[in-house]
Amino acid sequence: MAAPRGAVLDVGVDTSTVAPVRRQRRVGGLFVASVIWIALVALGAIFADLLPIPSPTDMDMLGKRALPSAEHWLGNDVLGRDVFSRLIYGGRISLTVGLLAPVLGVTIGGALGLLAGYFRGRLETFITGGVDVLLAFPPLVFALAVTAYLGQSIANITLVIGVLGIPAFTRVARAVTLSLSEREFVTAARALGATHSRIILRELLPNVALPLVAFFLLGVAVTIVVEGALSFLGLGVPPPAPSWGSMIGEGRESLDIAPWLAFLPALFMFLTVLAFNVVGDTLRALTDPRPGAL
Amino acid sequence: MARFIGRRLLYLLPVLLAVTLLTFLIASLLPGDLAVTILGDQATPEKVAALRAQMGLDLPLWQRYLLWLWDVLHGDLGRSFRTGETVLSAVGDRLPISLELMVMAEVTALLIAIPLAILCAVRSGSATDRFLTGLAFGKLSLPPFMVAILLIYLFAVSLNLLPATGWIPFAEDPIANIRSFVLPALTLAIAEWPVLMRVLRSDMIATLQEDYIAMAKAKGLRPARILLVHALKPSSLTLVTVTGINIGRLIGGALIVETIFALPGIGRLLVGAIYARDFIILQGVVLFVAVGFVVVNFIVDMLYAVLDPRIRHGRA
Amino acid sequence: MRTIVKALALAASAALLAAGPATAQKKGGTLTVGLELDIPGFDGLKVGVYDTAANIAASLIFDTLVKLDDQGKPEPGLAVSWSHSDDFKVWTFKLRPNVKFHDGTPFNAQALAWTFARLKDPKNNCRCAFYIANVLSVEAKDDLTVVHTLKDPSANYPATLTRPTEINTVQSPTAIQTKGDDFNRNPVGTGPFILKSWTAGDRMVLERNPDYWDKDKISLDRVVLRPLPDSQSRFASLKSGETDLVWADEFEADNIQRAKQDKTLQVLSYAGSGAAVNVFNTKVPPLDDVRVRQALVMALDRKKMSQAITNGLARPASNPFGDGSWVKCKDDGALPEDPKKAAALIKEYGKPVKFKMLFTATPRGRANGQVLQQLWKNVGAEMEIEQVDQATIPARAFQRKFDITPWRIVDFPDPDLQMFANFYSKSPLNLANFTDPDLDKALEAARTTADEAKRSEYYCEASRIINKNATWFWTFQNTYYAMAKARVKGVPKLYGGVIDVSHAWLE
Repeated sequence: MAAPRGAVLDVGVDTSTVAPVRRQRRVGGLFVASVIWIALVALGAIFADLLPIPSPTDMDMLGKRALPSAEHWLGNDVLGRDVFSRLIYGGRISLTVGLLAPVLGVTIGGALGLLAGYFRGRLETFITGGVDVLLAFPPLVFALAVTAYLGQSIANITLVIGVLGIPAFTRVARAVTLSLSEREFVTAARALGATHSRIILRELLPNVALPLVAFFLLGVAVTIVVEGALSFLGLGVPPPAPSWGSMIGEGRESLDIAPWLAFLPALFMFLTVLAFNVVGDTLRALTDPRPGAL
Repeated sequence: MARFIGRRLLYLLPVLLAVTLLTFLIASLLPGDLAVTILGDQATPEKVAALRAQMGLDLPLWQRYLLWLWDVLHGDLGRSFRTGETVLSAVGDRLPISLELMVMAEVTALLIAIPLAILCAVRSGSATDRFLTGLAFGKLSLPPFMVAILLIYLFAVSLNLLPATGWIPFAEDPIANIRSFVLPALTLAIAEWPVLMRVLRSDMIATLQEDYIAMAKAKGLRPARILLVHALKPSSLTLVTVTGINIGRLIGGALIVETIFALPGIGRLLVGAIYARDFIILQGVVLFVAVGFVVVNFIVDMLYAVLDPRIRHGRA
Repeated sequence: MRTIVKALALAASAALLAAGPATAQKKGGTLTVGLELDIPGFDGLKVGVYDTAANIAASLIFDTLVKLDDQGKPEPGLAVSWSHSDDFKVWTFKLRPNVKFHDGTPFNAQALAWTFARLKDPKNNCRCAFYIANVLSVEAKDDLTVVHTLKDPSANYPATLTRPTEINTVQSPTAIQTKGDDFNRNPVGTGPFILKSWTAGDRMVLERNPDYWDKDKISLDRVVLRPLPDSQSRFASLKSGETDLVWADEFEADNIQRAKQDKTLQVLSYAGSGAAVNVFNTKVPPLDDVRVRQALVMALDRKKMSQAITNGLARPASNPFGDGSWVKCKDDGALPEDPKKAAALIKEYGKPVKFKMLFTATPRGRANGQVLQQLWKNVGAEMEIEQVDQATIPARAFQRKFDITPWRIVDFPDPDLQMFANFYSKSPLNLANFTDPDLDKALEAARTTADEAKRSEYYCEASRIINKNATWFWTFQNTYYAMAKARVKGVPKLYGGVIDVSHAWLE
């Protein structure tokens, strides 16, 4: 159950009901707080090198698990490295992988789903079949083989998680496209003799994009967690670069001596996942006509 | 209906072929030559070449795949070069454990998710709803490997209520068997319920908007009856899909949970096979896992048709 | 032929019986042991070389010809006495009479000769071939006399037969023949315990052998071995009472220290010989330059490393032998720990020092890698951590596809096998690709000399040459650990990390 979580997520976007548009949701304080948190973490990650914080990899080998001090605001980890700095830099990795992997999924999966949903027929059978193959293949074997063959790097881990996420995006895109294809504006365009590419790019894509973006944000949250699970299995981002997931994994070893080593990165992950979720929900509520949808 | 089943079956066959072929491809990418693994460190190149020829490893990939397929079609999945176990007995030993874990985990997850989803759907937009949906996603940030160890410390070490590791066969002691699955199943359920709850909640909210629900309300049926009898069934399509996918995944093992709780399931078998470059076992297990996934998917499709007759008539 | 009868086992055991154990040993009970790894099996042709988990199980199911006593000296096992030719090339063992395998077939010299020939047969492709390369033949002279003929002399040969490995364990030829592929998981030996049931990945249940030749000394009714791969839950299982004894290592320092403070628990540890070692590939730049290698060794602050990784438990090593070995060096030629000098040497080299090092993709590998990376960064060298799975490391090492790879010198009763394999210029395991005639000479002399003091001096000479050229470096000496409930008694020293619970009892 390690890597595969991403694929489990093809949920949420149910397009079977098309109700009249009723925009009720307002943008709330929670949404603003979420955006601020994401911005803070992202800025921290981008400008980490410029911040007045210790290096995330320099060790004070005699100061393992040191308590917070003026020098180390949140203390040291199990190898004597600054926890605060690692949290900031960890955001860099977690967000990079967390954003890029779903980008891969949404691009490839979205395109496949769109094509399958629009053209139907053999192409659809072929694409859904391919998706089923990917789902039926044990993701762990895939992750192990790719990292063993290509080596462990941020790029390869992003690749693994991204590819594993493709089925979910394909399914969402296909379902949305299927329901849209029968809508008036598409049939109208068709009747006017628009080319396939024009219909897909001008009529369908903008409408499929919104639910996909909402789903994408969900994917970000899941990817950050999956990266942690891969780290636990030794397949994560190569050391010494910190990621929140690997920090939780390392902290787990000293759970009863220094529980904060595991819970601090978990808290960062919690807030970030929650923030992305709130943003995703709000976006979806703004684009989904149904009241109270996810 | 028979045609529907037939069509699905016909469609699943190529999926199985593709999965096994993919395994072959991926296994051939792994560093480490099987012949070298068997002969060990000091083998001369001539010896390695001889063994490769003897095992058919020098054949092109597609030929090896066809040979393997031929054997499988004749009921021979092969034996591990390393342990001498047949694939059938290796999988036979592990599958019941993974299945029991999977069933307990999914049932627990559904038991948590369904009531909470109904609660949220009924009070959609309320503080309770927001709290629970928020909690569901915040929970993601406690990864299973951490939840597992917290549960062990709480229930096994501090309270001494449940075993921390291991597994007792059902035939030997049914109660001990169930007890040994409680913590691992709970760990998995804790990871699964948020998604299940959100799916059901969203579909349920949509269902509750439907006219027939309003009619049932107007007829004065008790709210509980409306929710459980009239609303739940049509709302559970996506829930069934997601549960199906989860189950399909768990057939492939739950490596982290198996490792921490020392359960001899499919996940550890798979990883052990990869680490030992035991390709016969790897290939056989992947085949089983894929068949399992395909069968579950098939059942889900059937359930779909039962839950919503429109499916049979071509709704997406 | 000069004959020394080392011991007369019958007399010896009779004497022991008369003396009796100091405390009355309680009979009966079940001991559950938590190991880290799953056991693949016991047939050398299948599993290759036993790992520690297999060694531990093998010590219960099988006997060896020779055992190690409290002092680490050879004592009779299934051989009651032995003698050697003057040149240490022919060893004759007298076997214990009236011993039967678990399947009822008799143990005799023919059985030993047959199982050895099976492992040795080149057609069988045993991965263990390397470890028996020096044994030309094992022949049955009569039912109870077996003769080992060696290619090169081995002065301490009986000691090398003590570790319960795929080669040294005495296995039933009848069972091997009748069970075929299934023997691997249905082992039959002469040992104190008989395999009762085995669920792969879960537990191996062993029951007392009622016909064991030394049954009076066996107390437990049953031993259960369980693979518990996660160190945290393994320790939890000990605390909650699901296991009575668990395997451990220094990377669990927190748990070991907690167990030491817990009155219901005890920590068994054994400071063995050997060390955790690492190989420089001396053929690839920048490691082909001796200054770079020396600098990297001088940069190592092993005390700090030990503190960071193992809370100070791990014992720094300056040679491949360790305090637990009978090899004692006045001067092992260790380079001084001197980061300033190291930085200067790197500077002198001129070019940027960048290289990769292999580590296992485990918490252990990651901790080691990051600490080494930091120490080398301090002196201006840049190491990249390359994480691979366990199976990849030997494969990459043998193909010499590495810059630096971790390795281990195991606690063997005699250093010859590993010293010769790893450091002799023509050995296939000369991983550093390093040749030095003086080193070869020292290693050759050490294996053909009987006198321990003289051999010790040869090995120290070898250590000085290796240290001076910095072709290998040693980090920590081997210390083996087990944690157990306080009531577990009678576990002997953990020679080579093997936890032998066959003679244990529960208070």
